[in-house]
Formats: sequence, structure tokens, C-alpha cells
Amino acid sequence: MNSSTEALSTHPTDCAEVQVPNQVFMAIAVASLSENILVIVAVIKNRNLHSPMYCFICNLAVFNTISSLFKALENILLLFKEAGHLNSLRLFELNIDDIMDSLLCMCFLGSIFSILTIAVDRYISIFHALRYHTLMTMRRVVVMLSTIWVLCGTSGVLMIGFFEAATVKIFFVVPFFTALLFILLLYVHMFLLARHHANRIASMPGLHARQRQSGLRGALTLTILIGVFVACWAPFCPHLLIMMICPENPYCECYRSLFQLHVVLLVSHAVTDPAIYAFRSTELRNTYKKMFLCSASRIFKECV
Amino acid sequence: MPRFQHLNSTSIPNHNYEWSYEYYDDEEPVSFEGLKAHRYSIVIGFWVGLAVFVIFMFFVLTLLTKTGAPHPEATEPYEKRMRLTSCAEGLGRQREADTRTSLSRPLLEESRSFFHCYINEEEREGGRATAGAAHGCTGSGDSRNQVETVGLAVQSMVMDTRAEREAALLAHFNIPNFVNSELNSVLGDEDLLLGDPPIIMEEARPRCTHHIID
Repeated sequence: MNSSTEALSTHPTDCAEVQVPNQVFMAIAVASLSENILVIVAVIKNRNLHSPMYCFICNLAVFNTISSLFKALENILLLFKEAGHLNSLRLFELNIDDIMDSLLCMCFLGSIFSILTIAVDRYISIFHALRYHTLMTMRRVVVMLSTIWVLCGTSGVLMIGFFEAATVKIFFVVPFFTALLFILLLYVHMFLLARHHANRIASMPGLHARQRQSGLRGALTLTILIGVFVACWAPFCPHLLIMMICPENPYCECYRSLFQLHVVLLVSHAVTDPAIYAFRSTELRNTYKKMFLCSASRIFKECV
Repeated sequence: MPRFQHLNSTSIPNHNYEWSYEYYDDEEPVSFEGLKAHRYSIVIGFWVGLAVFVIFMFFVLTLLTKTGAPHPEATEPYEKRMRLTSCAEGLGRQREADTRTSLSRPLLEESRSFFHCYINEEEREGGRATAGAAHGCTGSGDSRNQVETVGLAVQSMVMDTRAEREAALLAHFNIPNFVNSELNSVLGDEDLLLGDPPIIMEEARPRCTHHIID
């Protein structure tokens, strides 16, 4: 009965697979779910935030919400399995795992593309300032977002359906690296322009230079933005490459043993995304203050 | 990836489902004998490479902030600055007089005169479009707006390219989620682009945007 499980559990290897407890996944999934739902609610409630920039941020939050929701669902199903409740459920004859995998794949691709669209939007708003409102109409934003959703949805389904083919794995790695390259180029160009402006202002007579400090903070913020993106996403890509290139090499085997750790990193990116993109906006923070103050005052009035 | 294994499903429907992370289908054991380097060398190499990349990027960016050399065409804008600073000085004197009386109307008129001064300079450069936009939006603001306008125009004079001037002028007109507020959110710094004082971009001003967009 347990022939295949026997082979899996007694697989002799010096690099034992690092197991991450389910509670860690659950905690990260719940934290990311709550943060991203807050972002979505704030963007929908405040009419000032119905602009292209915040549409892209909200889109990123939606992808992160779906991915953390399904990660949490997966963990709940694992908990049920360990408790022994799943044996009687017939509906799991369907390939629930395949559906979940394709949804997760769609969400991961979607968040990469959303981050890219946010960078492109900021770039256009800085370098094509006068034409920004003609370039970024709401209609074009809707078209872009629906294109991203359709592309990611079909890619998710195809990638899991045809996961064995090597082209599929390449199709995940190549967009990631091109997206990373574009993001790097766009942000560094924006940073250079900001530095140029700051230097020109510093050379004005009568202004004392606080520019060193502000320049350092700008560099730090940009490094954090790119660094977190790379640290969360990059470790996952070699797994796909290793499966194609060196499935039997012991060194590659040791890298593959850290798979669950790298999935934790991937999921934790959904927690850091709102902190990097959404919560830096003062308008969004003010929306939260109003929301919580209003609900607190309402509760207070009901109690008193 | 988690996967359900349906075992022994030939004749009798067997409901012994196994839920496990079936990541690798290969059954051959990987031999670990005769390894020359440490077994986690790929992992270590990967993370070291990543850390080097991030730190290198940080150092490059900080180096760019430290070596803020003045623009090579520094002589020409200096003359421009001298010419336009006279406008600012005249304005400064007027503002001092006005703050004593603390009336908003003198501020409005002084701003108009300041803009005339600025617009004259602009027209000499040939930037008629921005002058038209700037002129159109002058009258539709309160006193705080005028102070902001003054600060913005003074700063915008030292910018060489027309595009930069346009960006700064346009930034004043509070198009929501525009250059300054969004660059602020990118780089987390209020005075990266504009110096003292930072211009607040919170409220939308649809009247001014219509002047420009239509």
C-alpha cells in the first residue's frame, strides 16, 4: 500500500530536506492576507485613490491576497489531513492540488508584472510629466490590468498543465529576470534624475545643503525596494533551473533540500509588498486613520 | 508542491490518500561520496552573490549622491540665476511688507507680478506653452497656494531644461499622485526633488488641471 511513500520517506541523502512547520506558513499567510485586504479596502473607499497609480498598487494587493488565501487554504487542508478528516471526502478525487498550484503560479507571475507596472507608471509620471494624464488614462489602465490577468491566468494553467516540459520552466525564469532588469533600469534612471535635481537646488545661493542626508536615504530606500524583491524571488528560480539541468548532482540536491525555506521567502514577499508600496503613501495612511477613528468613535458612542 | 497520491486505484476504489510534498519523482539515490567542495556550496555561493549585488548597488547609489558635481554648463545658468534672483529679491521685499499688513490680496498681486517677471523670462526662452499654463493658473489659488507658487517658481528657474521646468510647474498644480508625491513614496524623502520647503501635494486641484489638459 505504501510503496511510493516508502521510497519517498526513506530517501537516502546527506542533505535532508529542511522542513518548515505549517504554523510558519499559516502565520505569514494570515499576516499578508490582512495587510493586503486593508490596502484593497482603503483604495476602494477613498475616492482620491481612484487613480492609475493606486489602481496598480491595488492590483498588486489583489494578487497577494489571492496567493496568501490559497496558501492558507493549503495549510488548512494539510492540518485536516494530519487530523485524519480528509479520508472521507470524495471531492478530493479532483486534482485540487493542480488547481491550487496554477492559481499560486498565476498570482506569483501577477505580482511580478504588477511591480513592473508600478515602476513603469512612476517612470512615466517623472519623465513624461506633462503627458502623463494623456498617456495614463483610466481606460488604458483597465486594458493593461485585464491583459495582465488574462496572461497570468493562462500562464498559470499552462505551466501546471505542462509542467514537465522544460520550456515551461524557462517561461517562469525569463520573465522574472527581464522584469528585474527593467525595474532596476527604471528606478536607477529615476534616482539619477532626482540626484541631478537635488544637486541643482544645492547649487542655488542661500540654501543650506541637507542633500547628503536625503541622498543617502534615497539610496537606502531604493536598495531596500530592489533588495527585498531580489531576495524574495531569486532563490526560487534556481529550483526550476536545477530540475532541468542537474537533477542528480549532489550539490544541486543540497540546494533543492532548501525548497520549503525558499517558498517561505516567496510568500513573505506578499507581507513586505504593502509596506514598501502602499503604506508609504500619506494619503493611504490618512484613509486608515479616518477609517479607524470613525469606527472607534462609533463603538465609543454605542458603549456610552 | 503538494500532491495527492491515489494508491492502488485499479479495481477497488481505495481511499487511502496520501498528502505529501512530492517534489521529486526521481527514485535513484544521490550519492554523496567524493565531494570536493562543501555540500552546500551552491547555496552559499548563491546567497553571497546576491548579497554582493545588493551591497554593490547600494554603494553605487551612495557614490552618486556624494559625487554631486555641478552641471558642466554651470556658467550659463549662473547668469540666468542672477537675472531671475532680482525678481525674487523684489518679491522678497514686497512679501516682508505684506506680512506686516497680513492681507491676502497683496500676496495675490505680488504673485501675479512675480509671475509676470517669470513669464517674461520664459518668453525670452521661448517657452510659451508653460507660460500660458502658469499664467492661467495663477489667479485661482489662496494665499498658501501663492506662497507655494513663489517657492516653486524660484526653484524652477535654476533648472536648465524646459522639461524639468514643466515638470516642476505642473507638480505645483496638484495633479493627484503626481511627480513629487510619488517620487517621495519611491525614495521616501520629501526634499529629494525640491529642497526646502517641501511642497505638499495632498489635495486635488481639478481647476488647474483642466487648464492644462484641455
